[in-house]
Amino acid sequence: MTDNILSQTPETESAAPVIHVSPSPHLADQALTTQRIMLDVVIGLVPVIAMALYMFRLYAVKQLAICVISCLAAEALFARMRGRAVPLKDCSALVTGIILALSLPGPAPWYVGVIASFVAIGIGKAIFGGIGMNIFNPAMVGRAFVMIAFASALAASGYQDVNSSIDAVTQATPLDTFKQTGVVTPLAALFLGLTNGSLGETSALACLIGGIYLCIRRSASWEIPAGVIGAAAVLGGIANLVDMDSGWTVLHHLCGGSLLFGAFFIATDPCSSPLTPKGKFIFGLGVGGFIMLLRLFSGYPAGVMFAVLLMNCLTPLINRWTIPRPLGASTS
Amino acid sequence: MADQPTATERFIQGILPENPVLRQLLGLCPALAVTANMKSALTMTGAVLFVLFCANVITSLIRNLLKPHLRIVVFTLTIATFVTIADRFLAAYLYQMSKTLGPYIPLIIVNCIIICRCEVCASKQSVFVAGADAIGQSIGFGLAISAIAAVREILGTGNFFDIPVLPAAWPDWVVMVLPPGAFLTFGLLIGLVNWYETVRAQRPVREVLEPAQSEGA
Amino acid sequence: MTAQGKTHFFSQAWLVLVLAICFGGLLAGMQIVLGPTIEANKINETLERVPELVFGAAHAKELSETGMEIKPLSVGVEKAGKTVRYNVYETKSDGRLAGWVTKSAGQGYADKIEILIGFDPQVEKITGLFVLDQKETPGLGNKILEAGWRGQFLDKSTAKPLAPVKGQAKAGHEIDAITGATISSKAVTDIINTAVADLRQPLTDKAKGQ
Repeated sequence: MTDNILSQTPETESAAPVIHVSPSPHLADQALTTQRIMLDVVIGLVPVIAMALYMFRLYAVKQLAICVISCLAAEALFARMRGRAVPLKDCSALVTGIILALSLPGPAPWYVGVIASFVAIGIGKAIFGGIGMNIFNPAMVGRAFVMIAFASALAASGYQDVNSSIDAVTQATPLDTFKQTGVVTPLAALFLGLTNGSLGETSALACLIGGIYLCIRRSASWEIPAGVIGAAAVLGGIANLVDMDSGWTVLHHLCGGSLLFGAFFIATDPCSSPLTPKGKFIFGLGVGGFIMLLRLFSGYPAGVMFAVLLMNCLTPLINRWTIPRPLGASTS
Repeated sequence: MADQPTATERFIQGILPENPVLRQLLGLCPALAVTANMKSALTMTGAVLFVLFCANVITSLIRNLLKPHLRIVVFTLTIATFVTIADRFLAAYLYQMSKTLGPYIPLIIVNCIIICRCEVCASKQSVFVAGADAIGQSIGFGLAISAIAAVREILGTGNFFDIPVLPAAWPDWVVMVLPPGAFLTFGLLIGLVNWYETVRAQRPVREVLEPAQSEGA
Repeated sequence: MTAQGKTHFFSQAWLVLVLAICFGGLLAGMQIVLGPTIEANKINETLERVPELVFGAAHAKELSETGMEIKPLSVGVEKAGKTVRYNVYETKSDGRLAGWVTKSAGQGYADKIEILIGFDPQVEKITGLFVLDQKETPGLGNKILEAGWRGQFLDKSTAKPLAPVKGQAKAGHEIDAITGATISSKAVTDIINTAVADLRQPLTDKAKGQ
């Protein structure tokens, strides 16, 4: 480094060497760009997308196409409105689009995806100042908007289309079946994802494969999914102990609904989650806790979206709690 | 005191340059709570117009008798009286509407628009100016909340004044008639007004600068 | 200072006092003029609904000109040591008891749901249902307002408690739950079941007494 600087300034060769020290963060790996992280997320999502395409066929193709195209269009539109260069290259809009599509039910009408995408990019991200400035996870903002706007399309019954030629879509979702009738879906079906649900949430296996890839690549922090799964396992275990006969065990809780999809792909959004490892773990615990609370006590079948949005609100507070103490600083 | 705005100025200022909701950010409680449809927004505007006009006129009439440290008591007393009259009147002649608006009519008492106008204008200026000010501010309030209500009612139910305006296939955006819709619409509307103001403020500056630059060249 | 303060009291406050008296008078006058209309509005809101809940919408119009009597009653029911009061409207046509309408409320999904239920004189079947007040989710829960859904309750026997079911209601005591709003549907049927259980005895006693 210093060699380089000296060679650039041959006239001052006799002067003392100049060492440039930039303020932190001192990024060791220059390759860790937004684009790389986002591409990693896309790669991590491949097994989930593959499973969605296998299970839901045209529904998945349609929903993915609508959301991705709308998100990219919205990103271009809002960047143009703000007089910025169109930042499609960083792939963040692509990731938002894919996650949004995977969190929607297959039979949802086309406008649901389009409106959710525009709200996600516009209100979830552009209004706060673009990527990195958003408080909330954009995809979940979009989904929350359509969830309330088109309640009937996204409520438990929205997942079912009795006349569909695809088997999965004709069933009720496993969590809803359990809540309404107490029938427990076999664990193997939940794990592999041979059930109905949001496009990306059905298969626990696919989420695990993609999620572990992300954690190994360090594109997602392992602390967050660990916190989510830990909290969900503890609360699910308590719920199971309280009601032994229901047959809905801890593993059902972990594999059912969008818990794993949320833990690995939604809660790990780097902009809206805390900065420090400890903070990330607390954040994960909070998300997992809220998911289980909503799942056990609310009218909604699953609460990953609300859990993530609620914890997003707390992120600044968690960041403040967990400021690391510099080496040698006094405790008081 | 010599530079007090005239009646016309007061009237015009209330409508956009000093719009109570969009520029002064006053009276937000009704702006968010009763804007789910046009009818309740307009009823609310009517009630505010009545209360503001009466309160302004009375305050202006007694402005020379006011003791500075008792003025807020007098304002509140006046406002509360006329709000009660408006509330009872609605309950007698528009019973359903009065049920829909619920506590938001009595809440006009603590609506900052009215106490602000009593303080800023009516306690200092003549009855005529105070009346014009009340009407101007009420129109401004009405325009702002009707704008929010129009967006919310059309997107949320496909209707405008309960008359269908969008095709039957329109999927109602239920979120718009719920509280989040009010916050979103209101935020975006303020954004729009601020953006318009910035654009307008920049334009004269450029016109002033351009001749100076050409002279320099 | 204190003496001065006292003499100043009236000179300071006279305006407030005068205004308070004037405004008080104004409001009193207002209340005298409008009070009866407001009271009438409140009673009419419920009373207007009573005929159609007993006789059905089509029949109620014809009857309203002929001799129909509606008498508001307050029926107390002893329940777990507490007295629950119901507002019941006794409806008579041509001097004979035609049915009862009762106001009842219960917790819905979002807030309290307030309904009017019509019964025949022996409280054996439901003759009508009307939702007075609700704040259920628009698009889902607020479908309890729709005449089509409420129509299911017509002529239902009160012998067995009503039960909302998903999908198609088959048995006589079953009610189609609104898709996506099971809680709201259950809330309404629960309110009806409670009202039936509480009122069957007192109302049949009253009917016999006449």
